Amino acid sequence: MTPHRTRNILICSGKGGVGKTTLTANLGIALARQGVRTAVLDADFGLRNLDLLLGLENRIVFTAQEVLAGSCRLEQALVKHKQEPNLALLPAGNPRMLEWLKPEDMQAIVGMLAPSFDVVLIDCPAGIEDGFKNAVSAAQEAIVITTPEVSAVRDADRVIGLLNTHGIQPIQLVLNRVRPKMMANQEMLSVNDVTDILALPLLGLVVEDEQVIVSTNRGEPLTLSGSHSPAALAYSNVARRLQGEDVPLPDPAKMGRGLRAKLSRLIKTKIF
Amino acid sequence: MASQLLLATAASQPHRLRLAAAASATGSLVAEVGYALGALPPRGEWLSEELVLATGDWLLTVADLRELEPLLLQRGLRLVRVEAPVPEALVAAASLGVVTQLQRPEDGTAAYAAHEPTDPTEPQGLGLTIHQGTLRSGDHLQVEGSVLLLGDVNPGARISAAGDVRVWGRLRGVAHAGCQGNHQARIVAMQLRPLQLRIAESVARGPEDLPPRGYAEQALLVGGAIAIEPAEPIWGLPD
Repeated sequence: MTPHRTRNILICSGKGGVGKTTLTANLGIALARQGVRTAVLDADFGLRNLDLLLGLENRIVFTAQEVLAGSCRLEQALVKHKQEPNLALLPAGNPRMLEWLKPEDMQAIVGMLAPSFDVVLIDCPAGIEDGFKNAVSAAQEAIVITTPEVSAVRDADRVIGLLNTHGIQPIQLVLNRVRPKMMANQEMLSVNDVTDILALPLLGLVVEDEQVIVSTNRGEPLTLSGSHSPAALAYSNVARRLQGEDVPLPDPAKMGRGLRAKLSRLIKTKIF
Repeated sequence: MASQLLLATAASQPHRLRLAAAASATGSLVAEVGYALGALPPRGEWLSEELVLATGDWLLTVADLRELEPLLLQRGLRLVRVEAPVPEALVAAASLGVVTQLQRPEDGTAAYAAHEPTDPTEPQGLGLTIHQGTLRSGDHLQVEGSVLLLGDVNPGARISAAGDVRVWGRLRGVAHAGCQGNHQARIVAMQLRPLQLRIAESVARGPEDLPPRGYAEQALLVGGAIAIEPAEPIWGLPD
């Protein structure tokens, strides 16, 4: 048997609002559904909302802060997801933790999680300041998420540079909120434009999907409901690729062009 | 060695004044500079109004530099750059709005030789630095001789060299060749799509249209303006 090794994966973007937390939540659920013991760690202490997206906000009793202070055990702070027992959330403490939290503290937390999980997903705060540095120090690999916009790509590029200096390897890319139609009309950066600049292996393409907003507000990640929406499929494919499975990437030029997609669009427009 | 004034041989070059070691100086900075400027021919017979001051190990203060101003003004000279191996002098100069440059003491003489205005055709005296890896947004690679980058320069990144900038990859950020005033410096890239190009003191925006396929391109100064043309297949690396 190979010795147990936990993968600590940082999910970061540089720019805010591109979908770090949404990816963390959905990827966490998707991995758990595939039988991987997964912990999601909210490293965004200033503006925490991973718990919201997972619908676990009201079940938080202790946080990472109490664990670090030694006033509770790790098991007490971990919030297990009801439908997906393979998934647990370690909530961020209060925003004042930012003042004293050190990279060693993050490493300590991740070290405590290691024995009981296969994958730890670290939801990184936006920006490249202390919060980012703390989060990076605890990770060995990273997923950079970006949208096909110049500002998001520029920030992602900066973050990749910083990850490289921290020796994070491998770094993979998820391109979020892709609009195939706009890409086809060259109104948006194409997948090639983005990968040209960032030069990272593409782990997933997630199309713009209104269902993401619905699920976020409900606190039920898309991957949880077994939804067949395109984004849900993309997230679970990201999880499968992360596990080393060879899942072909969709071609954005062909997305939403098939007969089924056309039919479903027709039905939607007729009814609503 | 006493303080030394190297006169510009071309109108586009500054004069260089290199101060002697502080320990060997007899008087104040003003006295030292005034002494060195004594070598200056009468006004109208020299080519440049610009002066570069290499301060050596002098720990200059803002007050010292202020005292220099009337002296230089009287001579019709303008201080354009201060080069020093010590941060004190650089900070003082920077706070007066003068361009500064850090000179490492161990290769200060070599760096100095590279700027000798007596041989303006020799673009570099410090050889070639090879850097492997892509420069990403926010990165800034600065080199004292010429640089060969094996990788891309992404938008938002900067690369600058006292000599040539050569990019074995795509140049999409900002490149500055001849950043210490070398007008012979050039920028060569497999794909030249920069945000901005600088050679010596000249600045140009990158071209808007796509490059012809399969050609490396180079940018160089032609009559004071930056021109882009296909690069010759042999890059002529320095020894």
